[in-house]
Amino acid sequence: MKKLILYAVVGGIAFIIGYFVNYQLFSDRAPVQPINFSHKIHAGDNQIQCQYCHIYAERSRVSGVPNVKRCMGCHQIIKTDSPEIQKVASYWDKKEPIPWVKVYNLPDHVYFPHKRHVRAGLDCKNCHGDVATMARIEKVSSLQMGWCLSCHSKKEVKNGSDCWTCHK
Amino acid sequence: MKRRDFLKFIGIGGVGAGAGFVLGKVSKPPGAKLIPYLIPPEDIVPGVATWYASACTQCGAGCGTLVRVMEGRAKKIEGNPAHPVNRGGLCAMGQSSVQALYNPDRITKPLKRKGPRGSGDYTEITWDEALKTLAENLTELKSKGNSDKLHLLTSPLSGTLDKLVREFVSAFGSTNYSHYGLFQRKNLAFANLSAMGTASVPHYDIENTKYLLSFGADFSSTWVSPVNYSNGYGKMRQGAGERGKLVQVEPRLSLTGANADEWVPAKPGTEALLALAIANTIVEKGLAKDGGAWRGVLSRYKAKDVASICDVSVERIEAIAVEFAHTRPSLAIAGDSVSSYENGIAGAIAVNILNQVAGNIGVTVIPNGDDLGGGRRVDFSKKISTLIAAANADKVKALIVYGANPVFTTPKAAKLEDALSKVPFIASFSSFMDETTAQADLILPAHTSLEDWGDDFPDPGVGAPVASIIQPAVGPVFETKSLGDIFIELAKAVGGNAAGKITAPNFAEYLKSSWKELYSRNREMAAGTLGFEDFWNKTLQNGGWWGPPRKRTATVSARASEHLTGGPARFEGEEGQYPFYLIPYAQTAYMDGRGANLPWLQELPDPMTSVVWGTWVEINPKTAEKLGLKEGDMVNVESPFGKISAPVYLYPGIRPDTVAVPIGQGHSHYGRYAKGRGANPIEILPYNEDPRSGEAALNSTRVRITRGGSGERMVKMEGSTKELGRGIVQTVSTSEFKRMKKEGV
Ligand code: SF4
Repeated sequence: MKKLILYAVVGGIAFIIGYFVNYQLFSDRAPVQPINFSHKIHAGDNQIQCQYCHIYAERSRVSGVPNVKRCMGCHQIIKTDSPEIQKVASYWDKKEPIPWVKVYNLPDHVYFPHKRHVRAGLDCKNCHGDVATMARIEKVSSLQMGWCLSCHSKKEVKNGSDCWTCHK
Repeated sequence: MKRRDFLKFIGIGGVGAGAGFVLGKVSKPPGAKLIPYLIPPEDIVPGVATWYASACTQCGAGCGTLVRVMEGRAKKIEGNPAHPVNRGGLCAMGQSSVQALYNPDRITKPLKRKGPRGSGDYTEITWDEALKTLAENLTELKSKGNSDKLHLLTSPLSGTLDKLVREFVSAFGSTNYSHYGLFQRKNLAFANLSAMGTASVPHYDIENTKYLLSFGADFSSTWVSPVNYSNGYGKMRQGAGERGKLVQVEPRLSLTGANADEWVPAKPGTEALLALAIANTIVEKGLAKDGGAWRGVLSRYKAKDVASICDVSVERIEAIAVEFAHTRPSLAIAGDSVSSYENGIAGAIAVNILNQVAGNIGVTVIPNGDDLGGGRRVDFSKKISTLIAAANADKVKALIVYGANPVFTTPKAAKLEDALSKVPFIASFSSFMDETTAQADLILPAHTSLEDWGDDFPDPGVGAPVASIIQPAVGPVFETKSLGDIFIELAKAVGGNAAGKITAPNFAEYLKSSWKELYSRNREMAAGTLGFEDFWNKTLQNGGWWGPPRKRTATVSARASEHLTGGPARFEGEEGQYPFYLIPYAQTAYMDGRGANLPWLQELPDPMTSVVWGTWVEINPKTAEKLGLKEGDMVNVESPFGKISAPVYLYPGIRPDTVAVPIGQGHSHYGRYAKGRGANPIEILPYNEDPRSGEAALNSTRVRITRGGSGERMVKMEGSTKELGRGIVQTVSTSEFKRMKKEGV
């Protein structure tokens, strides 16, 4: 009997460890996207500025997923023979938005404005990593509260560790 | 540890970890999607709110609003701080208008009736078909020479929309366009017409009043323009200068009454006599500013004669009279407790006379002038009874309803439904399946005010010309149409005179050109603008246009006294059998029942009782004890005209011979939140209205209370109304407070 309990305890602990290992380390850091979009080609090889496509970063809470018209602005002429670009074009022809998969996801109770961070002169790299080298976008920061706070305190952000700054 | 056990542990551990991993994997939500715009709208930045100035249409007060719109969706409504009516405030109903917009029970497409009338059984049709069907019905009427048998019944519309509807109806050849609502305060308008020459509610300058005598006007919650009055009241109490005093005369303490310094629970039906006795005392004591003309009329109402009728002591009447005349400026307002009788006009006139003798007219009572010519028109010849009589006489061949819900707000005794069954064709433009719309053969759902164009000329005004613009803050959520556009398209489809008269391509254009006219008529508007386009853009930005205050005055004409009566109001139900006066009142959240379909309003605790989601019967604890009733007991409230059941709420703020029931619940339709909840006290009222104004006599019924009946349990937020000696609310008397203030304590 005593042994059975012991088995259950060991099994239970192992279960929890397994669960968390999956959750923390094997999360979808680089999900497959509907279009095999490469930041490496755009931001790396061609050195296109982040805000050329993420047009709201300086003005809004969200940086903005590029609208399909913006994609087509270039790809009407550029690389039209690529099958991936043809996929983009077919979305455009169908007048459907591209259903990108979210990589950086914050819970609803966190208020994170891109605007403030961009205007404070923070480089996008600080949080999003060196996207210029990423063929498929990959999450590089944990987005955990400790991670936010460590930067806030390092940079001595005013009211940076106040609860209400991010949880409003 | 044995080797075998060790291996077993390893095995169990491995299986456990594996299971955990797999479960973690499958339970993980799929990655959220990021859906970009195909083509980004120019005026939208995702994540940044756009605020549109507009106006609230939930009641007739016409408060200015600011609508917060994110990514094309209305998220929140606030009061417009620049708007002179509400100065930034917004009541619960106004706040809830977003829930009307997104209501899951909205009628999303035109409907054609399938089942019998009232069943709510409809099939969806296209707009083309709906407009065609309606136009065909109307043209048939016309071809048979029955144009005048088209009736239109709407909520009290104002401004350009009203103008358009009027134009349509008259071009079609009918004269039967009427406004209807339970709380139109037509008695007040009639009294003001006969006393001061304008058929409207004047502006009451509560802010600058030092002694406010309110005859049952629940002005901080539902009465006429509650946000405006509450704002003024706040300043009257806590603004610069001496704190004003509020005395409330009503049999049942309303929210406003609960704020008063003094509560005068006069006997129901005698409030007009009380007002006249106060006026007479002022004249008799030589305190009147303007008493000469009234001496004769008023001498019939001596304090000592009416005191026992009113159940208010002579001393108290005299004390009120003296204070009312001495405190400058004072103000008396005629609310529902003085004017909701068969002879409600008399009560409203009595209060006018009181203001006249105390010299308040032109000071705190500022008569309205329809400065801009867009104000609400009150037509006393158009009553709900006129419509019922016409329908019964087969004189209504087609009825179009919008915004009004007479099936819910008219007593069963009026037999409105029977009358409607004689109308061969009924169309409704409502976007909600209310009780009246459920009788319609055809439904053409109009936009809510957040999706539509419009304007409003608040009445009562604020002693200054005000014109508000209603603009669409969001695109239509469903397949509804602008109300104005429905009429314009209908005019085209009907053809003939209507099509010739109404030529605007759509209501937005119609509205703009109507404002262009207004602009060219009005020099004040033109001042400081670079032409009409500039003015129009500014108006859209600000939510309207308002001009500088205008001082107006009037004299209460002595002829008004012909409407006075000598005795108390008449009640239905003989006293022996029906011992209690019934007060059905407008509740903060539901008003006349229109708010009941919005869950925010349902869950808003009633300010006096804290009850949510239901109906209750307010009974004085002493009366309840006599009847052997406890709080929450189900009772029947029975009048000679029917009975309803609801739970008891013990309310010390009501006369022992009176019971009160809030209006608003007891819907048989009107969506999932309203339907089948609580009871509707209007059902058991007699069919009484003031014959001159057409205003319903809500307070003229007696009832009896019997135990029993079925219904829902009462849900309330408060635990107990007693402090139980805990001293939670500390109080000091006014005189003590003054002393403390003087001594700087
Ligand atoms: S008082 Fe009337 S107009 Fe003003 S916010 Fe309330 S419902 Fe709207």
